[in-house]
Amino acid sequence: MSIKDKVAIVGVGCCKFGENWDRSEEDMIVDAAYEAYADAGITEPSKQIDAIYCGSLYTKNGPVEVGEALKLYKPLTAVSNYCATGTEAFRAGVMAVACGVYDTVLVVGYDKPKDRGVSGPSVNIKGVRDLPATPAGWFAMCAAPYFKKFGAGREDLAKIAVKNHYNGTLSPKSFLKKIITEEEALNGRMISWPFGLYDCAAQSDGAAVAVITKASLAKSFRSDPVYVKAVASGSAANPHTDPDHDFLRWKPTENAAAEAYKMAGINNPFTEIHLAQVHDCFTLTELLAYEDLGFIAKGAAKEHIANGTFALTGALPVNTDGGLKTFGHPTGATGVRMLVENVLQLQGRAEKRQLILHNKKQPTMALTHNIGGFPTGCAVTIIGIDK
Amino acid sequence: MAGMASAGIVSYGAYIPLMRLPFSVIAGKAPKEGGPEKAVAWMDEDSVTLGVAAAQNCLQGFDRSRIDAVIFATTTYAFAEKQAAAIIAKALNLKGDVRTADIAHSTRGGTIALQSAIDAVKAGSASRVLVVAADCRMGAPGSGFESNTGDAAAAFLVGNEGVVATLDCACAHTTEIIDIWRKQGDRFVHSWEDRFVNVHGYIDNTVAAIKGLLAKSGKTVADISKAALYAPEARSLGEMSRAAGIAKEQINDPLFGKVGNAGAAFAPLLLINALETSKAGEKILVANYGDGADALLFTVNNSRARSENYRNVVQMLARRKVVDAYGKYMKARGLTITEYAEVDEPGISATVHYRERDEDLSFEGQVCSHCGTHQFPKGRVCVRCHSKDQWTPACYSDLTGKVVTYTLDAFFPSPEPPTAVGIVEVINADGSAGPRIHMQVCETTPKDIAIDLPVQFTFRCIHRVGLRPNYFWKSTPIVAVEGVAV
Repeated sequence: MSIKDKVAIVGVGCCKFGENWDRSEEDMIVDAAYEAYADAGITEPSKQIDAIYCGSLYTKNGPVEVGEALKLYKPLTAVSNYCATGTEAFRAGVMAVACGVYDTVLVVGYDKPKDRGVSGPSVNIKGVRDLPATPAGWFAMCAAPYFKKFGAGREDLAKIAVKNHYNGTLSPKSFLKKIITEEEALNGRMISWPFGLYDCAAQSDGAAVAVITKASLAKSFRSDPVYVKAVASGSAANPHTDPDHDFLRWKPTENAAAEAYKMAGINNPFTEIHLAQVHDCFTLTELLAYEDLGFIAKGAAKEHIANGTFALTGALPVNTDGGLKTFGHPTGATGVRMLVENVLQLQGRAEKRQLILHNKKQPTMALTHNIGGFPTGCAVTIIGIDK
Repeated sequence: MAGMASAGIVSYGAYIPLMRLPFSVIAGKAPKEGGPEKAVAWMDEDSVTLGVAAAQNCLQGFDRSRIDAVIFATTTYAFAEKQAAAIIAKALNLKGDVRTADIAHSTRGGTIALQSAIDAVKAGSASRVLVVAADCRMGAPGSGFESNTGDAAAAFLVGNEGVVATLDCACAHTTEIIDIWRKQGDRFVHSWEDRFVNVHGYIDNTVAAIKGLLAKSGKTVADISKAALYAPEARSLGEMSRAAGIAKEQINDPLFGKVGNAGAAFAPLLLINALETSKAGEKILVANYGDGADALLFTVNNSRARSENYRNVVQMLARRKVVDAYGKYMKARGLTITEYAEVDEPGISATVHYRERDEDLSFEGQVCSHCGTHQFPKGRVCVRCHSKDQWTPACYSDLTGKVVTYTLDAFFPSPEPPTAVGIVEVINADGSAGPRIHMQVCETTPKDIAIDLPVQFTFRCIHRVGLRPNYFWKSTPIVAVEGVAV
């Protein structure tokens, strides 16, 4: 059974991402949720919302943060899957609606890592094995083998950082708004080779919300609903101990993409997908995603990066709002924030960064992608609009 | 006694840490090639890890399951209550019924441990005993003790089969004197006035023990081929040996300015150095000091062939990396000043530590009995064939491996960041692929680390969370070492 076209997104909201020192989790959830209510034309949320699915990786108190923020005393489910947490909350909500248990569901992704008093992720030294344990170190493990095999290097990664920094300047709610040069990107201080500062996503606070409903009710909320074509999840053995891993790819992405394309009936993602928000926790993660999602052949990223394939004006724009790199990466919020951007683009509401396809038409099919853990888990969504 | 096997040293192996602190750097100047230096344990090393490394060197080619007891001598160990020999036995994956003992509180501990082991074998209560001596004593920054002390380890396998050096005679001379000490909690070595200490402590006692040994054994100084002599520093070594009638040519290089006085491991290290360069029939005198003195006389038998991986003292002296800034040494040894104390949280769960002791201390993984896939850490389901609970344990500490991929982490606490971390694939003895393990690659540089780099495994202190050493294994490049072949 496919989930295709059974569920629609009828409202999206996103708070300002950044170092939100003067705002709590609850403040940000309220900002994003009330924006989504307005977007869906919801005036009485306690009557119009049937259930909530939420996700946060750094939560202090668990899902009560959402319940208390919104005062919606509804069925409340929290999910967690590393960086795919927000998308997993969406996936759980979509399945609940698709199977007919609920009509309309609120999906809330949020995180508040900047309350921890550290800049960037802390160095985990709880055990003795697998140290240092930092996301940069885990995601860097593909670098040496990929560079060796395909002749790519830090300069190719720098071009991705430059692109995403530019896109972020066009997004009103993004954290970082700074155009950078390749030289600046290459000269940032090292975090975990080959990743310098500019290869790493900006850790930030944020919340994003989507209102989803069953397809038959979608037009009662708004005239231009966006339909869920696929929502997939993939996992794989820990690449550190997988005896067969080649460190040229992340298998969870390949697994999730295959499932998503099958659900959505997509045969040629490069032409059928018009834009994508992919997980750029590190520049190399975005590079590998181009290939692992099947947009281009394995090893072809260097050439496509140089040609601008994934720029706003390219054949398949990626991370149109600046991505994790500059929009920010509140882990639980990220997957939902990506959906917000794709909905705005498909509905023609992305303002300065609005895409127009080469055939002058508006985009109609968009993909999101998250990957997290060592990395061990991935989630992919594909949404589309009728035009 | 002719024809009857007599107890003695069956095998031996030393370990000198890679890092060398030049005296010029202590003085705030640039490193000076060829100048005096001392061997220093680095941030991930302590007496236990140096001891394990020496024992690995000593035990190559020997059946570890035949070791009945481990005796560990040190004056520098993290715990007042909790045995180090038990950690060493576990790191070496020795059998569960091994007897373990620590000998602490005296720089004389190395020879006390060696004699105890030989006594046990002679008495028939053990057939093979592993003796490990290691020390990482520190002098206060800028003090004479700082330049005279150094860090090293020595290990001996004692038994009565295949003995390469027989203990002919031993003599002790014990005196109570408050000469050199560290009280509970002291980080640095302290002493009473130096001329008093040298004359009435080191020289009087050591000379008395040597003279007692010669009288007891009916030998003269002329019978001695080499003398492995403990000394607090080079000058008093000269005074003591003159008083004992030992000629300069008889004295084994005391390694001052190369390693330094390695405390409980010092005389044992010099004995190993002497054994490595002795011929059958030669006699070696060992004199050791610390709250009294020990003198031991060994006769060298035919030496046995050593494994090609054995590293002798000369090779380990050649394998060195210079500390180019004193601040790095201070950071490595926890001597830097910070406003806040080190994190004093409970640290790793003792329950988890207990459950994971085979993996973390013995470096033991497992091989799937169904499909032959190796897995580390263990887990119950096979990553390849998904069979459950079909495993045979496999120990990887003595094998080699290769780097599959790596990164260089700039944030992990280190005196010299970045920290190299790799996915290392163990190579089984038959050349097949062992498990892949996410682990640090130590004693390498960003320039040297590469895909397919050959590595071996070394027991290290990973961090000190909970204000205690937390041990696991690291990989380290296999480097061709210059020096004499053994």
